[in-house]
Amino acid sequence: MKVLVPIKRVVDYNVKVRVKADNSGVDLANVKMAMNPFCEIAVEEAVRLKEKGVVTEIIAVTIGNKAAQEQLRTAMALGADRSILVETEEDAQPLAIAKALKALVDKESPDLVILGKQAIDGDNSQTGQMLAALAGMPQGTFASEVNVADGKVKVTREIDGGLQTVELSLPAVVTTDLRLNEPRYASLPNIMKAKKKPLEVISAADLGVSFASSTKTLKVEPPAERSAGIKVASVAELVEKLKNEAKVI
Amino acid sequence: MSDTAALFQPLLGNRCLTDAESCQRYGVDWTKVWAPAPSAVLLPETIEEVQAIVRLANQHRIALVPSGGRTGLSAGAVAADGEVVVAFDRMNKVLAFSEFDRAVTVQPGVVTQQLQEFAEEKNLFYPVDFASAGSSQIGGNIGTNAGGIKVIRYGMTRDWITGLKVVTGKGDLLELNKGLVKNATGYDFRHLFIGSEGTLGFVVEADIQLARQPQNLTVLVLGAPGFSEVMNVLHAFQNKLDLTAFEFFSDKAMAHVLAHGVPKPFETESQYYCLLEFEGVSEDVMNDAMALFEQCVENGWVEDGVMSQSIQQAEQLWQLRERISESISVYTPYKNDISVTVSKVPKFVEEVDAIVQNNYPDFEIVWFGHIGDGNMHLNILKPDALAKEEFFSQCNNVSKWVFEIVQKYNGSISAEHGVGRTKKPYLHYSRSADEIAYMQAVKAVFDPNNIMNPGKLIDMESHS
Ligand SMILES: Cc1cc2nc3c(=O)[nH]c(=O)nc-3n(C[C@H](O)[C@H](O)[C@H](O)COP(=O)(O)OP(=O)(O)OC[C@H]3O[C@@H](n4cnc5c(N)ncnc54)[C@H](O)[C@@H]3O)c2cc1C
Ligand SMILES: Cc1cc2nc3c(=O)[nH]c(=O)nc-3n(C[C@H](O)[C@H](O)[C@H](O)COP(=O)(O)OP(=O)(O)OC[C@H]3O[C@@H](n4cnc5c(N)ncnc54)[C@H](O)[C@@H]3O)c2cc1C
Repeated sequence: MKVLVPIKRVVDYNVKVRVKADNSGVDLANVKMAMNPFCEIAVEEAVRLKEKGVVTEIIAVTIGNKAAQEQLRTAMALGADRSILVETEEDAQPLAIAKALKALVDKESPDLVILGKQAIDGDNSQTGQMLAALAGMPQGTFASEVNVADGKVKVTREIDGGLQTVELSLPAVVTTDLRLNEPRYASLPNIMKAKKKPLEVISAADLGVSFASSTKTLKVEPPAERSAGIKVASVAELVEKLKNEAKVI
Repeated sequence: MSDTAALFQPLLGNRCLTDAESCQRYGVDWTKVWAPAPSAVLLPETIEEVQAIVRLANQHRIALVPSGGRTGLSAGAVAADGEVVVAFDRMNKVLAFSEFDRAVTVQPGVVTQQLQEFAEEKNLFYPVDFASAGSSQIGGNIGTNAGGIKVIRYGMTRDWITGLKVVTGKGDLLELNKGLVKNATGYDFRHLFIGSEGTLGFVVEADIQLARQPQNLTVLVLGAPGFSEVMNVLHAFQNKLDLTAFEFFSDKAMAHVLAHGVPKPFETESQYYCLLEFEGVSEDVMNDAMALFEQCVENGWVEDGVMSQSIQQAEQLWQLRERISESISVYTPYKNDISVTVSKVPKFVEEVDAIVQNNYPDFEIVWFGHIGDGNMHLNILKPDALAKEEFFSQCNNVSKWVFEIVQKYNGSISAEHGVGRTKKPYLHYSRSADEIAYMQAVKAVFDPNNIMNPGKLIDMESHS
């Protein structure tokens, strides 16, 4: 069984991003980039399925600039067998990414596509769903448990106030939620082995798609600054302020 | 209110605290060996107030204890004998910043982490860092010349202080070095005050240099089959890379943090582990690191290892080292913070291990520390069967043996935690009698009435 794992290079989760002075976007100069945390979970899930003997081949894929090879190498160090970079300098949007992935699905015919429920840069949570629609595959989103057996995949989904379990026939699309697993570290011997694993670089044209964006970012603003707190002298004053100023009691 | 407190009350008003809770809170540091019993706690807001406190204390011969964040591990800020605590919580402002000089002027009550965050906002870096940085204060850091986890690259607190304002034990205000990089005009009292543990006077302001921000800090955790292999790894990496940290911990320390819920770095079990950090600024540097790893594996020095792929992972890997103290605290450990020159570390550890194991085979020894600086934390865990008093009395024997070995290797009985009250009886293992006599004489110059933190670091009785 073959698994395709789309991943994304994003600003490291722990970086405090700063908005550029001209409000055109966030400052990316000298900022640490890393694999999107939900993608790490997707890679980990694929690797666990391979360790269980369910999966035979894992292909990591990303759409991004040349530097995104770094994250593909990480994915291969974690256990992906080979990887594909669809190289572009464009800031590709979810629909364009889903179309490129659809083209790759046609080419590679995976039994399962596992990807993050969202990337922490755009917070769109659209790519997996759009891919499922374009490829005509069933989808199990926000997975907290994944079981593959008898040509089917059972996905436990985190929904408001509970869990829902769905069964999908393969091939299918699964998007990962935070509690699905705890990703491992990349071991140094595996990082070295990953350098020798195949990494294919292709272009949008090779897939017959375009990343030219139909959305334009007009303005990016930081959240409003919170005003400083104050100290009250007594409980009575606190109650008075909660009543009359904050109007919460 | 006691007579002593009544003396200071007119000066500080409601910033002269005498309630039981404040006395309890401000009278003790992390050591918790001595019961706190200060006569008052003062919270000055200005340098003038600090001077007035010192003058009054001289007049009435009242002992003062400078107090920072009280995270100290040697009872330097403990007030157990009716002293008056002078705490700097109200002097906690950043006073000035110069982008050009990359320098900042702060009051002593600024919390270490507050300075780190201030620097970060300015795209700069304050490199002195350790697990208690969220509570410790700059005044206390200067008092102990605090070190921490980045010393191998950035040095100690001392290396970042370019100027100090101090109020001496006589009540004089001295401005020491005024932020200068170069100043060849004689005795540098600044360095005398750094690490003096509040025995000469109060630090009331500090000029601090900041560094540029490190980039892409990358963490490796490696498993090594033995101690000499750890040293070989250190040597190999240091020859090629500018390490920002090199920490080690034993398999026992690892077992305790894992049991505490920190995720395992890899499956292979080794006797020792080391954590290395460096700036992964270019592909060349990353390739060097990989080549070094390969070389270490080929030579049999390293059995397995992982490398952080994100800041998140780097921070998680650091937990393996930073949460050791917490994970063993339930075993009421006996602790020592000792140093020798780096090359002597393996022999030193071997000797200490042997003497403890031969005499007390039931004792579990947990080693960890800043080994790149020759600084080891020796922890001995209390066996369940042994009563606390019995355990600590046996540990007194251990102290003597350990410090004799420290002395033999020209090491230090306190690498970065200071002497305070807990290590005072052992000072002679690291400092000669002549040297201690000079220390007493120097203290008498700045603090003739011995009101500044008496009974800490050195005793003055033999002097007067
Ligand atoms: C979990 C943990 C981890 C730690 N890790 C490290 C580490 O890695 N490296 C390290 O070096 N230390 C470490 N420490 C020890 C401690 O945090 C440091 O010694 C720190 O510098 C103490 O700062 P403080 O503000 O808490 O000082 P306090 O404990 O309040 O005081 C320390 C000394 O400084 C004097 N002092 C305080 N303020 C002034 C002032 N304004 N003027 C003159 N003297 C003053 C006090 O009288 C006392 O002698 C650790 C402590 C803990 C609890
Ligand atoms: C062309 C030139 C260029 C220079 N450039 C620089 C420069 O760039 N930076 C710089 O800092 N200086 C510079 N200097 C000054 C000088 O070289 C330094 O001050 C140097 O450190 C002096 O060393 P010395 O051995 O000549 O000491 P001396 O001139 O012999 O003595 C200097 C002081 O040290 C004392 N002293 C000497 N030996 C001992 C000892 N064993 N124990 C205790 N005290 C001792 C002496 O009593 C005296 O007070 C320069 C001088 C010249 C002529």
